[in-house]
Amino acid sequence: MNNTIVSYFLQFEEFQTVVTKLSEITGANATSLVAFVIFAVAAVVVLGALATVGGLGTYAERKISADLQMRQGPNRVGPYGILQFLADGVKMIMKEDIVPRHADKLTFNIAPLLCMLGVMATFAVLPFSSGFTMTDLDVGVFYLIGVSSLVGVGIFLGGYSSNSKWSMLGGMRGASQIISYEVPVTLSILAIVLLAGGMSFGTIVSAQGAWPHQWFVLHNPFTFIAFIVLFIGVLAETNRAPFDLPEAESELVSGYHTEFTGMRFGFFALAEYMEVFVVCGVVAALFLGGYNVPFGLGEGTFLMEKLHIPAIHAKGVGQLLQVGSFVSKTLALYYVVIWIRWTLPRLRVDHLMTLCWKYLTPIALFNLVGCALWMFFFHGQSIWQLLGHLGGGHGGGH
Amino acid sequence: MITLPSYLFISFVLFICGLVVMIARKNIVAIMLGIELILNAAALNFAAYTKFINQNLDGHIISLFIIVIAAAEAAVGLAIVIRFYQIKESIHIDDATQLQS
Amino acid sequence: MFDQILFILSAVITMGGALAVVFSNNLMHACVYLLASLFGVAGLYATLNADFLAATQLVVYAGGVVILMLFAIMLTGGVQSTVNKFGIVKVPGMGNAKTYSAAGLAAVVISFVLFKILKNAAAMPAKGQMAYESTVEKLGGLLVSDHVLAFELSSILLLGALVGAAVIARPRHIKDDV
Repeated sequence: MNNTIVSYFLQFEEFQTVVTKLSEITGANATSLVAFVIFAVAAVVVLGALATVGGLGTYAERKISADLQMRQGPNRVGPYGILQFLADGVKMIMKEDIVPRHADKLTFNIAPLLCMLGVMATFAVLPFSSGFTMTDLDVGVFYLIGVSSLVGVGIFLGGYSSNSKWSMLGGMRGASQIISYEVPVTLSILAIVLLAGGMSFGTIVSAQGAWPHQWFVLHNPFTFIAFIVLFIGVLAETNRAPFDLPEAESELVSGYHTEFTGMRFGFFALAEYMEVFVVCGVVAALFLGGYNVPFGLGEGTFLMEKLHIPAIHAKGVGQLLQVGSFVSKTLALYYVVIWIRWTLPRLRVDHLMTLCWKYLTPIALFNLVGCALWMFFFHGQSIWQLLGHLGGGHGGGH
Repeated sequence: MITLPSYLFISFVLFICGLVVMIARKNIVAIMLGIELILNAAALNFAAYTKFINQNLDGHIISLFIIVIAAAEAAVGLAIVIRFYQIKESIHIDDATQLQS
Repeated sequence: MFDQILFILSAVITMGGALAVVFSNNLMHACVYLLASLFGVAGLYATLNADFLAATQLVVYAGGVVILMLFAIMLTGGVQSTVNKFGIVKVPGMGNAKTYSAAGLAAVVISFVLFKILKNAAAMPAKGQMAYESTVEKLGGLLVSDHVLAFELSSILLLGALVGAAVIARPRHIKDDV
């Protein structure tokens, strides 16, 4: 049985009594009913929260870009213009829904849905905290790579079906870019899987610590390079600048979603911003310690032992702290993504492929070998532990 | 109830669909779609027998190799299709009458 | 309960997708239906507690094979002549009634053979079901112990396929006398 959000609740006695009471009332075993309800509520919460984050992403993008360019940015709707994304959403719903006359109806309709599906399916394994992970699959990272590649199919079909040459070129670039950059991304993730000894996010995150020197990004020089490679790769996979060739507005009008209007366009945009959040979360979980919180606050042991708070409250507070840790790391990376977008110029399409196949893929391959050798020779110790041994050998320990 | 015959029936349907696609279509890419269906039917059978009869993981390993081979086959096959299209400007199977152009 | 819902959904998607691949008249649509069918097969793997296989199916097919196929369809989708080099009208690329009846005949014959085989196979006594547990570690162990030769051979196969595909599809001068 995988570790799921239900198994977090099932560890409390209070919860067990609720289940037994429900079983008495309904006359049948209510465990799976309760599990279903928990999953449904958690799914609604995660979807709602991440859709809001995706919407706020557009606002953040405009506000940060305005900041970088010494402008004001949106400031009319709500305080500091924070409700701008709601206004945009309402505008998109009210727009006319146009299907071009010679468009391929079926694929035109399912392309935005495939994009949304690919992004939303990744939420199932996103590790918000040790308890609040929808399900901690044993093949977590692998599953995430698999379902997120649906976005590539969606982009390609969106470009193909619109029957427009801008869309066609954008969709082609998007799909080729996504399947090319999947190679260095997967190889860099494999290096981390090698260090952590498992593909589930729970294993990977718990193999790291709360402090920066325990994170995988500073574990050894190879993982640091893997972090850089992975970050560049996910920028390309989510079609963000400087890799936003699929929607390069100065050459292809707006790329693969040129012909999409109304809510279909909204789906593409929302999927893009949510995917940026998801990949930033994945990078945070793989390299930046994920949801780890120092002093045992996350597991609630500190609160329980020092302050004698009951287990259910202590663990609840711990979960909240873990979610805060994860989300703050993710949003910091999100800021970096937007910052890069408004700082760097766009690459040319052949430079993009050169960067992927001639630089990132060989670097990621040798990096993987380097990580394997490091694991073999130093038995998985980080560089700080080795330095500690060195210092300890000379100075006689601390 | 989910038993072995239900999985066998699904893989049977997949296999027959793949066969019909391979024979009825004259487009090389469409024929490759049929090949993918047939390979999937075989892989599904191996996984089903692993669960219900054999219960060691050798069936999963063979399914994995089938997926690997399907990927290699698709890559090489589509490269051949694109090369064929460059030479003959057609992907009709009846135009593929020469081993060497 | 959840098992059965997942199984029925996946089975419907798999078989519906496969049938749609057969009867679709548009190659691009057929490819999308194939994607649906392959997703259904991934769901079936999940009900067979083959979690690693399900994830591999998603990664290889959704991320690789289907996009490659879509690319090939797009790159070869131009206007094509309807007669061959002897001036005889070709069968349309997506088949016609004649090819479908031939295929149907073949399907009937093959399905009789398969029924004959599967009748015995389905009667094999099921030894009960495996418990749900992670297969990742066991598969990893098996791949580098019992099946290490096949594992290495498949890596050579993939390398050969990579180089071969790159060499075959490399643009060259097209001869004029074909």
